[in-house]
Amino acid sequence: MVLSNEDELKQKIQDGYIVESREEMTEGYRKALIVQLTVQADTELMSAPAYWMAARHAPSTNTQVSAHAIIQDELAHANIAYRLLEDIGESKEQLVYGRQPHEFKHPYGFDQPLDNWADLVVANGFFDRAGITLLSDVYQNTSYGPLKRALVKVDMEETFHLRHGEVWMRRLAKAGGEAKEIVQCSVDWMFPMTIEWFGLPDDLKRHSGQLDYKLKGLSNDELRQVWMSSTVPLCEELGLNVPAHFDSETEEYVLDYPFPCEYDTADKRWVFEDGESTWDTVFKRWKGRGPMNEIYVESIQRSRRDVGGWLAEKRQAY
Amino acid sequence: MIERVYDVFARKHRGDQLAHIGYVDALDDEMARVYAWKTYDEENWFEMCVIRRSNIIPVNRQDGPFSGSKGEGE
Ligand SMILES: [Fe+2]
Ligand SMILES: [Fe+2]
Repeated sequence: MVLSNEDELKQKIQDGYIVESREEMTEGYRKALIVQLTVQADTELMSAPAYWMAARHAPSTNTQVSAHAIIQDELAHANIAYRLLEDIGESKEQLVYGRQPHEFKHPYGFDQPLDNWADLVVANGFFDRAGITLLSDVYQNTSYGPLKRALVKVDMEETFHLRHGEVWMRRLAKAGGEAKEIVQCSVDWMFPMTIEWFGLPDDLKRHSGQLDYKLKGLSNDELRQVWMSSTVPLCEELGLNVPAHFDSETEEYVLDYPFPCEYDTADKRWVFEDGESTWDTVFKRWKGRGPMNEIYVESIQRSRRDVGGWLAEKRQAY
Repeated sequence: MIERVYDVFARKHRGDQLAHIGYVDALDDEMARVYAWKTYDEENWFEMCVIRRSNIIPVNRQDGPFSGSKGEGE
């Protein structure tokens, strides 16, 4: 069945229609789904080199193996999302190997270096929690059948990543002394980084169609609240400071720092003292990409060239 | 070296329905088996199998990923 126009499809979707194939999509639907899946796929993909480089700092072989298990999961998640993109007409080959580093669509948080074990486990606690928050919302609301089914596996494994992060945050915080200090340092730069990840506040958000097509259910601000409602109590329980608190009058989490804010990549520090920034400035910073962008993308793309080159060499030597 | 699409089917327990759980791209059947087993390791599957997408013959639908020979040579 071919649908002729956008409004007709939007209406059917609002009435519970599930899209199963490319042929059933309007161009608007397909474009919106491509944007969503590209962000999802790129985020999964970039988490792999970020976690991999950080896993070198694992305190033991056992812990390094758990970190590597997480990385393997992330590559599988990326594969699943790129595969879904292929089914709606995009090329995985082109998306993974044919783009420049700055053309990837993952959040700015995955352009940052994870410099020690605490950075890695707080990334699991914060970034993977953000992933779960976003993807659970997609799972519950998406009108695209193949994506909903694929997310069952992803969600199961993200829950494991999150547990890994939270268990280790607890261990480090309970250990006290220097261990607690380094985990606090990670929290200091990663908490605002994840808050920013959820994007423009609702009152500034341009209408994107993602809600009309039911590609997601909650707004940016609602998702930010969901993330904080787990993260803030956890940090409070562990005695870690976060720049946000629960306001019992409005029954919402409130940020205790100027938002949006500028970030000093050299110092890995949010410049709270400069006050509130603008979203234009933030978008410019995102577009410029962060310090590890080229290194992470290169590490993914290189593997193919290296293996290809090695094989060619062997062939010639024969 | 052309990768093909393989669809992955599995059941968790004896008596469960065999269900489509995902897909992998692989150079040959043997690689597809390994990729599927390593990629979809979220459960302790009672049974898993892979099938070349191009070998799936649609019965009632002309649209969607299983229609035609789209799986071949992608
Ligand atoms: Fe993931
Ligand atoms: Fe994850």
